[in-house]
Amino acid sequence: MNERARRERRIWRPEIGADIDEELAYHLEMRERDYRERGLSPADARDAARRRFGDPSTIRSAVRTIDERAARERRRAGMWTDFRQDILYACRGLRRTPGFTAIAVLTLALGIGANTAIFSVINTVLLGSLPFPDADRLVFIWNTSDGQPEPIGPGRLRDLQTQVTSFESFAGISHISFTLTGRGEAERIGGSSVSSGFFDTLGARPLVGEPFHKGVADPSAVVLSERLWVRRFGADPSIVGRTITLNGRPRQVVAVMPRRFIWPAITAQPSAADTGPELWVPGGPGDVPRPATNEDEDMTGYRNTGYLRSVARLKPGVTFAQARAEVASAGTRLSRSHPEDDGRGATLVGIRNQFAGAVERPLLVLAGAVAFVLAIACANVASLLLGRGAARRRDLALRRALGASRARIVRQLVTESIVLSVAGAAAGLLLAWWGSASLLSLTPPDMAGLTRSGIDARVLLFTLGIAVAVGLAFGLVPAIELSRDQLTDALAEGGSRSSGSRRTSRTRDGLVTLEIAVAVVLLVGSTLLVRSFTALTRVDTGIDTHNLLTFDITVTGDRAEYQSRQVQFYDSLIQRLEAVPGVRAVGAAVTLPIGGDDFGTGYLVEGRPVPKTALRAGYQIVMPGYFHAMGIPIRRGRDFRSSDDRKAPPIVLVNETLARAQWPGQDPVGRRVRFDDDGQWMTIVGVVGDIRHLGPSRPPRPELYQSVTQRSFPFIAFVVRTERDPYDVMPSIRRAVVSLDPDLPLSGVRTMDEHVARALSKPKFLSTLVASFGGLAVSLAIVGIYGMMAWSVTERRQEIAIRMALGASREKMLTMVLGRALFLAAIGISLGLAIAPLATRTLSGLLYGITPTDPVAFAATGVALGAVAALSALVPALRAARVQPAAVVKY
Amino acid sequence: MHDRTTVDLLQGTLAALILKSLSWGPLHGYGIARWIEQITEDELLVEEGSLYPALHRLQARGLVTSEWTLSETNRRVRCYTLTEHGRQQLRAELSRWERFSEVVTRALQSRRPKTA
Repeated sequence: MNERARRERRIWRPEIGADIDEELAYHLEMRERDYRERGLSPADARDAARRRFGDPSTIRSAVRTIDERAARERRRAGMWTDFRQDILYACRGLRRTPGFTAIAVLTLALGIGANTAIFSVINTVLLGSLPFPDADRLVFIWNTSDGQPEPIGPGRLRDLQTQVTSFESFAGISHISFTLTGRGEAERIGGSSVSSGFFDTLGARPLVGEPFHKGVADPSAVVLSERLWVRRFGADPSIVGRTITLNGRPRQVVAVMPRRFIWPAITAQPSAADTGPELWVPGGPGDVPRPATNEDEDMTGYRNTGYLRSVARLKPGVTFAQARAEVASAGTRLSRSHPEDDGRGATLVGIRNQFAGAVERPLLVLAGAVAFVLAIACANVASLLLGRGAARRRDLALRRALGASRARIVRQLVTESIVLSVAGAAAGLLLAWWGSASLLSLTPPDMAGLTRSGIDARVLLFTLGIAVAVGLAFGLVPAIELSRDQLTDALAEGGSRSSGSRRTSRTRDGLVTLEIAVAVVLLVGSTLLVRSFTALTRVDTGIDTHNLLTFDITVTGDRAEYQSRQVQFYDSLIQRLEAVPGVRAVGAAVTLPIGGDDFGTGYLVEGRPVPKTALRAGYQIVMPGYFHAMGIPIRRGRDFRSSDDRKAPPIVLVNETLARAQWPGQDPVGRRVRFDDDGQWMTIVGVVGDIRHLGPSRPPRPELYQSVTQRSFPFIAFVVRTERDPYDVMPSIRRAVVSLDPDLPLSGVRTMDEHVARALSKPKFLSTLVASFGGLAVSLAIVGIYGMMAWSVTERRQEIAIRMALGASREKMLTMVLGRALFLAAIGISLGLAIAPLATRTLSGLLYGITPTDPVAFAATGVALGAVAALSALVPALRAARVQPAAVVKY
Repeated sequence: MHDRTTVDLLQGTLAALILKSLSWGPLHGYGIARWIEQITEDELLVEEGSLYPALHRLQARGLVTSEWTLSETNRRVRCYTLTEHGRQQLRAELSRWERFSEVVTRALQSRRPKTA
């Protein structure tokens, strides 16, 4: 029996029980009397009556159960009738005051709509179901270096796989670009080379065909995504078994994965940086996924070449924490027995964190922001209800005098507020529906893949829940407050200012103060985010990003076979492009900063002992002329030259940060370094300016540059410095490329400014949204302050008139009203500034170049809201000053 | 054995008997028991107590209402009255019973059919 039922039973037992006892006793007595009248002795008569009746206690409890159930049903029915009555009454009342109703519903619609919109995104991104059976048993395995996750080398991954017992199955993943040729324009497509057990581990089923399985994978098989199948092959149902050409080699399509098989690019820093792979091929020798750089090499022995991501399924009964502990200790153990593992650790990331970890915090910050907006909306509507209720005081007092209980009146008033909030929620749903469309258009690309947000049953339930909670929240205070009046007070008032209205005024003061406090918190947060974003846009990336076009190419066939041929081809393409009118300079790099790939490496300095923790640097491979095209200055020494080929001694360039770290105050040119997994010493021939390779928010780090002429890959990114808008020059550039090779696909065509904008899209998204919510909060606060002051001036007209009649000046009245508003604002602002640090603490890590407790942001917000409060109170204050004593006092 | 059958049969029809007893006017529980006793000439041996759960169930279903009145001996007595809904229900029960008994009677009195 639950608590409520028990309570009901306690309440109802005495009355029902006593009635039944009385009824049954009467029966027994009458029967006894009958028997006595028939001549039985009193004792025999009682026995006979009992026998005839049966066991009274059994009957008593049976009857009571029936009566209690009936009583409960009656009460329920009664409550339902009351509830319907209350709703009707509330609707009638709200229709009579359309202005109030409109403002209240609009306010609530804004508050609830914002919450619904954000929740609909959270619902899909953070709570949505993943398209794999038992998806929450899937984990990703990463190396850790200085606590940062990074990909693993094949040898180390294999060791982890054999030593860790927590996994049921296991698959490695490597991201590779493929060039699809034949039938239509050549196209570069993102794909993955995966272990044969990949689909088995995920438990994913195909749309058509049959993907490869653990241990049985035809090396020339390929599995397509539905997207690619539809786009390139017109959803051809006979695709399975057909041969397509990828990177110049034939591959047989064995299966197509369905649309709901959503698989983002897996990156070490949780973020879905790119659109996910569109095709999957099995790994190379030893079932090891092939690296992007070389498709044929046997990679099984490599430990330090970290390019593998890997997904595993936990054994039944093994918890995530257990598995992570096991992987961590295995990682440390392996690093002890294998010095080439560079002392790395290993860790696990759960699938939800892997897929949505990067957007989780921004989304939670937004959820907090909209909750604040809703709180302000509630305070506003509560304050409005109080103001409106004051006019109904006498009506309510009369109803109480006529016998309505206080609880009944509170219930009626709360029903009214719930009707309001449900109406607000309905309007809010419309706003959210419209809003989530524009939210989607604002969404940064790496979030867009995950936001298929829509309004589903869960969102509707959430909105309804909010509506009821909000209705209770803003309805209860005024309801209790208004039902307090006794008839005598209310009737005695006779329109003048009374204790009741003074109390209402105090409550409204409190609400407005609170509202200002919440607005301050939100505004401080948005000021911080906006200032952080502004700081990011002003960061010097070290690159001249203006009028700089970038695109990627991948070479295939004969041309890709030898590095010397690749370099030759790149050289001739650069020459063609340089000849295009409007082109100032051309460069090329394997890894493009800001939005491109990134390589990292460990290195050693000649003549120094091997350090305990490996020296790490970014590792970029660029063509001669790249620095000039990018606008990166060469501080010392020289640039690469075409003559620095594979026959010449190996050379590198370093950036200023690396030079400063290793040779402070000295010239590094002429010194030698080498990669920690490769024996050749390379001479430093120059020092170049620092750039922010990973984007504006990441400070420069040590970089090593090698020349493509000494190490090349079959793919490269071009940068073209143009004289005017790069897209004007683009057609000529495309023609130049086609003239060299009509089958060469150009992909990722973007300006560097676009790359930067893309890198900044998430902070922009967050600051834009939080700032708009901040703006919304401030406008609601303005409405609140204005409404409260206007009401208070109306209430106090008589008092003001008398004061003026007694000689108070208009200025005095003006300052009195303004002073009151500023006093409340001061309390609210101090309160808000005191709470704000708790809220803005959640922003640390999302802010750039500003601390969560930045004094300027705090002070500016305080001053701004003070000014806002004064402005909102100005109109009511002026009205107070214009009161004509004669007109009012006459009454 | 014979008694058990009677009681089982009665369970289903007790409600109908109660409704019938109230069709002439309000009665208290003991009055209903007395009516059943007289009308069936004590043929139906039933524990009188089982009348009360049946009565209260009828009340919960809205077929009868009850009210506390004073008896001739000035005692508080609960009196039951048939509602309009109860009256309709009685009519329905009656016709159902008639059909039922007719069928059962016909069945029980039938002769063994001649086999061809």
